[in-house]
Amino acid sequence: MELLVAITIGVLTFSGIYLILRARTFSVALGLTLFSYAVNLFLFVMGRLHTGQPAVLNDASSYTDPVPQALVLTAIVIGFAMTSFVLILALRAYTELGSDHVDGVEKTKKITGLGRNKQNKKKRTGAKR
Amino acid sequence: MILLALVFAPFFAVVLPFLVAQRGRTWIAVATAIAPLIALSLLLSQTSQVLEGDVISFKQVWISQLGLNLSFRLDGLSYLFSLLILGIGLLVILYARYYLSEQERVARFFTCLLLFMGSMLGLVLAGNLLLMLIFWELTSLSSFLLIGFWSQQSAARQGARMALAVTGGGGLALLAGILVIGHVVGSYELVDVLAAGELLKAHTLYPVALVLVLLGVFTKSAQFPFHFWLPHAMSAPTPVSAYLHSATMVKAGVFLLARLYPLLSGTEWWFYLVTFTGLTTLLVGAVTALFQNDLKGLLAYSTISHLGLITLLFGLDSDLAPVAAIFHIINHATFKASLFMAAGIIDHETGSRDMRRINGLWKYMPHTAVLAMVASSAMAGVPLLNGFLSKEMFFSETLHQHLLGSFSWLLPAMATLAGAFSVAYSLRFIHDVFFNGTPINLPKFPPHEPPRYMKIPVEVLVFCCLLVGVLPAWTISSLLAVAAQASLGHVLPEYDLAIWHGFNMPLLMSFIALIGGIAIYAQRAPLVRWYEGLPDINGRVIFEGIVRLLFGSVSRTLSYIENGSLQRYISLLLIAVVVMLIVWLTPLSRVTGEVALTPVDPLTALGLGVMALSALLTMGFHRQRLTALLMLSVVGLVVAMVFARFSAPDLALTQLVVEVVTILLMLLVVYFLPAQAPIESSSLLRLRDFIIAACCGGLMSVLTFAVLTRPYESIADFFLANSLTGGGGTNVVNVILVDFRGFDTLGEISVLGITAIATVALLQGLSLPRARVDNRGRPWSTETYPMVLGMLARLILPLALLVSVFIFLRGHNEPGGGFIAGLITAVALILLQVAYGQRWVQTRMGLRFPDLAAAGVLIATATGLASLPLGYPFLTSTFAHINVPFIGEIEVASAMLFDLGVYFTVVGGTLLILSGLGRIGHTVKLPEEL
Amino acid sequence: MNHLLLVPVLLPLICGALLMTTSRSPINQVRLISCGSVLLLFLAALYLLTQAGSGQIQVYGLGDWPAPFGIVLVLDRLSALMLMVTAVLGVFVTLYAMRGDDLRGGYFHALLQFQLAGINGAFLTGDLFNLFVFFEILLIASYALLLHGLGAARLRAALHYVILNLIGSSLFLISAGLFYGIAGTLNLVDLARFIAQAEGDQLFLLEAAGALLMMVFGLKAAFFPLYFWLPRAYAHATAPVAALFAIMTKIGLYAILRFSTLVFGVSAGGASGLGTGVLWVLALVTVVLSILGAFAANTLTSLLAYLVLVSVGTLLAGIAIGTEEAITAILYYLLHSTWIIAGLFLLADIIAKQRGDLATGLKVGPQLLNPHLLGGTFFVAAIAVAGLPPFSGFFGKVLLLQSVSGSAAWQLWPVILISGLVGVVGLSRAGSMIFWRSNNTLSGAAPLDKTAYFFTVLLLLTSPLLVVFAQPVIAFTEATAQQIMDVPSYLNAMQLKEAL
Repeated sequence: MELLVAITIGVLTFSGIYLILRARTFSVALGLTLFSYAVNLFLFVMGRLHTGQPAVLNDASSYTDPVPQALVLTAIVIGFAMTSFVLILALRAYTELGSDHVDGVEKTKKITGLGRNKQNKKKRTGAKR
Repeated sequence: MILLALVFAPFFAVVLPFLVAQRGRTWIAVATAIAPLIALSLLLSQTSQVLEGDVISFKQVWISQLGLNLSFRLDGLSYLFSLLILGIGLLVILYARYYLSEQERVARFFTCLLLFMGSMLGLVLAGNLLLMLIFWELTSLSSFLLIGFWSQQSAARQGARMALAVTGGGGLALLAGILVIGHVVGSYELVDVLAAGELLKAHTLYPVALVLVLLGVFTKSAQFPFHFWLPHAMSAPTPVSAYLHSATMVKAGVFLLARLYPLLSGTEWWFYLVTFTGLTTLLVGAVTALFQNDLKGLLAYSTISHLGLITLLFGLDSDLAPVAAIFHIINHATFKASLFMAAGIIDHETGSRDMRRINGLWKYMPHTAVLAMVASSAMAGVPLLNGFLSKEMFFSETLHQHLLGSFSWLLPAMATLAGAFSVAYSLRFIHDVFFNGTPINLPKFPPHEPPRYMKIPVEVLVFCCLLVGVLPAWTISSLLAVAAQASLGHVLPEYDLAIWHGFNMPLLMSFIALIGGIAIYAQRAPLVRWYEGLPDINGRVIFEGIVRLLFGSVSRTLSYIENGSLQRYISLLLIAVVVMLIVWLTPLSRVTGEVALTPVDPLTALGLGVMALSALLTMGFHRQRLTALLMLSVVGLVVAMVFARFSAPDLALTQLVVEVVTILLMLLVVYFLPAQAPIESSSLLRLRDFIIAACCGGLMSVLTFAVLTRPYESIADFFLANSLTGGGGTNVVNVILVDFRGFDTLGEISVLGITAIATVALLQGLSLPRARVDNRGRPWSTETYPMVLGMLARLILPLALLVSVFIFLRGHNEPGGGFIAGLITAVALILLQVAYGQRWVQTRMGLRFPDLAAAGVLIATATGLASLPLGYPFLTSTFAHINVPFIGEIEVASAMLFDLGVYFTVVGGTLLILSGLGRIGHTVKLPEEL
Repeated sequence: MNHLLLVPVLLPLICGALLMTTSRSPINQVRLISCGSVLLLFLAALYLLTQAGSGQIQVYGLGDWPAPFGIVLVLDRLSALMLMVTAVLGVFVTLYAMRGDDLRGGYFHALLQFQLAGINGAFLTGDLFNLFVFFEILLIASYALLLHGLGAARLRAALHYVILNLIGSSLFLISAGLFYGIAGTLNLVDLARFIAQAEGDQLFLLEAAGALLMMVFGLKAAFFPLYFWLPRAYAHATAPVAALFAIMTKIGLYAILRFSTLVFGVSAGGASGLGTGVLWVLALVTVVLSILGAFAANTLTSLLAYLVLVSVGTLLAGIAIGTEEAITAILYYLLHSTWIIAGLFLLADIIAKQRGDLATGLKVGPQLLNPHLLGGTFFVAAIAVAGLPPFSGFFGKVLLLQSVSGSAAWQLWPVILISGLVGVVGLSRAGSMIFWRSNNTLSGAAPLDKTAYFFTVLLLLTSPLLVVFAQPVIAFTEATAQQIMDVPSYLNAMQLKEAL
């Protein structure tokens, strides 16, 4: 079982990271979500795998480790917040910059990191689509 | 104490010029003169003691960890320099009063001058090397301001920046040198340092220290090859040139040589480095000076050559050499300052400094002419003038060194040659300017004598030249003696300052120099032609060129590294992570731990398989965004199932609802974004990404497996044990959330709240025209609020609310809790919004979403704070069990109030986020109207 | 228990929540709350500083649960010092923003308060996962603040900043999970205790987790190769935000310092000083690259952004050296660099307002309205930030240079000194371009906002003050360095049974 879980988490990470490395904001958002799934699972299984054990206290002998669950819960919520923010940011950037490229420009022009990317006046072209 | 006053008087006086700025130049000059006068009187009051060879010192610990003390030391050497600084300073102030015009920012000029004066005094009086360095850099900085005084001229700006770069840079080298010395000696106090000469010279770091210190010295005193900044510093107002760049600041370097003489001198390193730098500078300066057409240019290069001479003297291994050096420092200061002032007068009166145009001024300004001639004869080393004496000594010292063995004749020869050249350029100064025909179209014509008081400083200095020159023994000898003694650190050898030593080698050399100089000047024409033939090396142009070149290449290389591509930055981050992990995981003996694996059950395996597959599909279809989204949602759902499978119902529930909301959100976004994404990354890039992703995935699997197969002792047992007794709940996860780790949850809901307002702020003023048709060309429904949906929504809402209440109440003991309940409510409300529009909901709810979210956070915090008055720390919970029909026994814990806070925040936050997006089909209202 | 430990976190949190609701109410009311909050924060920080000055480590068990089970807040000299840095920054940023920048977008003050809450929480918490939560708070707030005022450039910068940090957060979770999965605890001190007696594969896995965490912190601290998001973000942020961000990188560095001294500290046996060798190299590379960036910058703000990176590199170098002297030095340098660079960002804004469309671009521009006043201020601030005497930067650098010897010195000294020189050249170039050259046109700029200028100068005054009071300040940082080196004292304070 452990092996399967490990591999699955690996696959999720793989596809997530690959998408994160794409050039379009939405793909990146997808990737981030996938990656966060992987991370949540990872965090969760850090409490080891327990099948069919009681979630709440009763007279059972052994329980699952509740701590990772609590952590994952927090992580999920925060992840949700972050995802929604990045999605809306992507939207705003798309409409403002007329491109959904992660660098905010269609890669015909080059941006240099030295703050000299003044060439992009507000384009509304995106809105026309 | 006196010393403290002496040093800081100018600093405190910097404001005075501004106070009287409106009252004109005279007032300002007077106001400026106050501090130097006070300082001077203080200094003179110490004369008798100093001449007796006493050392007056002051020490006050400043930063012990740094070894930096506020300690000052007045001995012969520092006395002499202070005298020069203050005396010439006062003369310069008087001179500048007439030099500067009414329109200029006179007050600012004098302020900078005072700043410099103070720094210079500090530099020569400092009794602690670090303290001295501070003042050293201060002189560089204040001279930067003074050189750049006429900032509208690009020459001034560039000259200033160059001077700062060179001297400032030298200062940093000096700092390093001083730190090394301190490291070896164990103290920066001059007393200790000077005593530790032998220790340092024996130490392996001695060469390092020496080179670093000399770097500082040579840059400051404009020694070859760092001399190039000085001529360009001449674009400063002439008083500045006279004061900083001939009399005082450039002497700081040689002062340091004198000051650290006992510490550093007397080694081969010292001899070769100092002597030859000095010699080169001496020659280069003397020769170049002759060919300058700019009056100040000539003086600048002659200054360089004289500084070279002084440096050379310090390099020599004879005991008398430093004495000669110090003597020449005094003499040079007097005659060169006066010459600069004279040059300034000429510039002032004729409006030009070009010696090819300024001719025959004798008949226009005889008085100035006489002064200038005397001064320049002193510079040339004509008998009966102070220059002659020190030059005599210089010549005789060059004869007395033996380290060059069979080449020892080289030094005197070179010295004589340089002497000849200095005679030549002095001659040119006199002849070219005051005789040699008539002026050629000067800007101001005819020139006439300057105001009376403008000449006084010059007269005073020239008088000194004469006095010292004629009666050295009566005037200067005693002071020179103590100064030299202070520098050498031991008793002086026998010597006498007399004009006449009989016919001897030095006299002959002087004679040769004199004749040779006249000859050179007479035969200058071919020389000039030769000089014109030389490549025109302009330090400023080169410096600016280098800076511009660096600028270009650096920004090019950097913009290559830092190309503004997020994909590059992310991959760098991930590569860094992968490398780090691999490096630290390699020592791992084996991946599989000792714990036995749990059996595979087909159902779960199937689930995992589906999850992995749909993840890959998401990746594959990421360009068809809608499809990708569907795949993603599948992954999310299976994740929820997996949670459930591995006995985490809370997680499963949460994941489920969050999943729904997230997908909803993404759908909204997809609606606005273009439906397809083009392929942009080159195949190579995609290969790179593939590899990186693969590494990350692999590492994740390895880590997961490695941990899962290893045993661990966790704090969980404590929670299981105390959940019911201490937290009053059987749902341990929930108890952890609201009690054990309630602080996390508080933070978590804050995040949600912040996100909500962040999105509102982000969406401000955003409006998108809605597409009429979707990407397949099918028209969107125009019906705003569909009937059926409305009915449905109204039907669902109460149910949903009921469910969420139920979930909320049982939360503490059974799977559930505020968060899930909140999300359920939110979803129901969103459905209602989709059906009836946001305003409709808002008005009926009668509560603004931001307030709701805020209220949540506040309730949670308040609950936590409630325990403080009872003497318990923040978030301490208490509870009681009561039995409610139908729901069963529930337990009312203060934690539930906290959970209520969570509930509110979740509802408010989620609604705020989603409704914000929901409304950007129309223009988004400002938060005021939310 | 000393409840005042809560103030730095809860006060801004509550105020932030209150300010969420005040979007309708008049701006003065909002400003009043915000202002009051930061001033109280300053007083609290002052009090806690004196408390910590006693040298006793205070632990606050939230929910009355003992460590390592409950979450604890820990107040030692280091956290108190960082709280102070933040508080001072908070006061001036708020005051400056009240001169109009806070109206350029929604919820500025609320976000600012949350940001402060997050930062203070990160400095106070003694729990790994709680640290994550506070990181998220300060991050989400910083995202919004960076976007404050919107506009194309900010959106672009924000996209990079947000996405990179989201990845960072996920990595943080992974690392936290690893720590828990192996050590079964989240309390930092308990982790230190566990690592001290861990060995074999267990230890290796923990080290891997630590290395991962270092990279996460590295992204926040912004050192090579993780700093590329910073220059654009800082160069385009609204002035008060940029000023506030001067502390952001220091949070990452703080975390690194904590981990390398406490969790992987001297007691950690084989794992002690985790990865400092790597950090050392990265630090030097960062200094070199960023000083070149500063030299080649073509706007004043991006020049400042690169100077932030220079300070990061310098501080990281000190952490990597890890000796008591080095840490003493960099803590002093941290105070200086944070405040002065923040002040410079504000000053740059004031200057930009007088240069019309050219703003902070380093091109020949219009004559400033107050060239001498602003020029003088810039001159002084530049000296301070370039590390020339007589201002604080110089003393920080000298302390650091003194603290190394041997081969390390051969590497560090040239880098620091030469970078200092390059900085001087770059700054003098910028200065003469802005204040000395002008195409004698007058930009139709509004007259100088005296109040804003006053606040800026006050903030910059910290530099001379750090010089005058260098002795006591350095004494404090020295004591701080000693304290964080002494891991057992933390175990005792936490009352963890098993001693080392």
